[in-house]
Amino acid sequence: MILFPLICAFLMPILAHFKKEACSIFTLVVAGTVFIIALYLTVLVLPEWPYTFQIGYWEAPWGIELILDPLSSLMVLTICAFCFLIAVYSLRTVRMEVPLEKAGWYYTAYLLLLTGMLGLMVTNDIFNMYVMIEITGICAVALVLARGTKEATEASLKYLLLAVIGSGFILFAIGFLYSVTGNLNLSYVAVELTLAKEHYPYLVWTAMGFFLVGFGIKAALFPLHLWLPDAHSSAPYASSALLSGLVVKVYIISMIRIFYLVFGPEMLTGTPMGTLLLVLSSLAIVGGSFFAYTQLNLKRRLAYSTVAQVGYIFLGLGLGTSWGLAAALLHIIVHAFMKVALFMAAGTIYFQTGKKNVLYFSGLGRIMPVSMGAFTIASLSMIGIPLFGGFLSKYALAQGSMQVESYGFVALVVLSGLLNASYYLPIVWQAFFTEEKRETFHLDMVPLSMIAPMLIVTAGLIYLGVTPGRMMAMIDNAASVLLPGF
Amino acid sequence: MPALDFEIILANFPFIASMLLFSMGCLIILTQQNLIKKVIGINVMETSIFLFFLSLGNIIPGGPPIVRPGMEEVLYVNPLPQALILTGIVVSFSVTAFALAIIVSLYRFYGTVYVDELMKMR
Repeated sequence: MILFPLICAFLMPILAHFKKEACSIFTLVVAGTVFIIALYLTVLVLPEWPYTFQIGYWEAPWGIELILDPLSSLMVLTICAFCFLIAVYSLRTVRMEVPLEKAGWYYTAYLLLLTGMLGLMVTNDIFNMYVMIEITGICAVALVLARGTKEATEASLKYLLLAVIGSGFILFAIGFLYSVTGNLNLSYVAVELTLAKEHYPYLVWTAMGFFLVGFGIKAALFPLHLWLPDAHSSAPYASSALLSGLVVKVYIISMIRIFYLVFGPEMLTGTPMGTLLLVLSSLAIVGGSFFAYTQLNLKRRLAYSTVAQVGYIFLGLGLGTSWGLAAALLHIIVHAFMKVALFMAAGTIYFQTGKKNVLYFSGLGRIMPVSMGAFTIASLSMIGIPLFGGFLSKYALAQGSMQVESYGFVALVVLSGLLNASYYLPIVWQAFFTEEKRETFHLDMVPLSMIAPMLIVTAGLIYLGVTPGRMMAMIDNAASVLLPGF
Repeated sequence: MPALDFEIILANFPFIASMLLFSMGCLIILTQQNLIKKVIGINVMETSIFLFFLSLGNIIPGGPPIVRPGMEEVLYVNPLPQALILTGIVVSFSVTAFALAIIVSLYRFYGTVYVDELMKMR
């Protein structure tokens, strides 16, 4: 499953050398095939969770182990589905944004990024995790760089430097864990660590702090988010959707894996580390929203909104309760839906009208009702209106904070919904209800390959909001892996 | 236990050195204005981690980890960190190459590699 996109990624430059136009179709086919393989694998191993696979058939403590449990297969399916949809979306957009001679390299990086993310999800070995983190990081930087403009180059250098600091911290923390446990396999490290916690408490705490800083930089936790707005706003639209919706999340999933499976949830509740997570995530929610409110460039606004939404995920983690964990996992998936839909809508608006500044959006609802409709649904969901996907995760988050009787966080969730409304609704209002220009009503004039994935994502959002039962069951399944006795 | 035991410091010398180098690398990345020096900082930081890993696996009288007939009882160096670090060196090399390539294209745009001048030109 992982090897397939990897091999195809390295075939891409050859293809690009001979026929530059074929690369996007080829990527589409590869992403679709990976999705089908992932679906098949999930159905195949469904009766016997968790399924493990030893690379090279070495026994577990020595060989590298891949694991397919409810959590990783849920994320693998999400990643494959979104990569396919974004590949469809980028059929036309990349042609307009990326120079033709670089398109082959763009798709090479795209497939490598897919490889890295899938590898990060299924690995059960901390050093392998580090390698996958580096692959993901470098390819994400390459996707930002793809446009080759001044801003993109600068943003990608910033991203690269901070990402390298982050992975340095992660590698050092892996070194600490290895030094106290002598294992690299996550399950074995977890077993050894219960003993090591008593002998080397300071070293374990240091390792945890290093993991927090490393993954915090990678996942743009609030004071460490500096690279994100530049990188996500100067990337091509298709890669912004991918970076904002998925790449930030896979780091959080690995962090959840390490914190909950290796260190154990009892090291998060009521400890300084848990308090630190709660404080930082609250700051992220409020600060990210305020920064988003001040931005006039739509892409920057969406990027800062990502910072705020990452705050929700970390808040759910920091609570350390079953509902909080479920809220974090749910928000990872729901936010992928919302942000991808928003970035796709922003992309279609840009390609039809060339407008980036939110002040000039008045009357857009008349000339491109489909994209603005998708934008509206995604922003309503972002605010947390019932019947849309975003309501679910906010509800779960409020439940989680009531579980530990900290009602301040309930208030925070409600307040941040209002903040979200303050920066999304004016755009919607302007687009549909201002009567400045009196333009004639007609449907969007953008290619179907841009409209269709956007509509599918939006439909998924409504589906999640209307019938949450199946998704909640899947999330519960995934959370029960992390939190025994869920 | 005395506050400063010289023996312990000497025994843990590689670890202390790697910690110092790591903080130095971090400081270089964060404070230097020259982008090339920042890349050198990355290398210092990653090398310190490699030093940490290697000294974890090392035993002073240890031999090479190759099993020969009749030598099963001999102390040998843990080969796993060495294998890991080989991977790590490749990763660090590719990151360095990529960062330098980006810096070259930045230099083509702005004509400078100093961050403060870059900020002024924006």
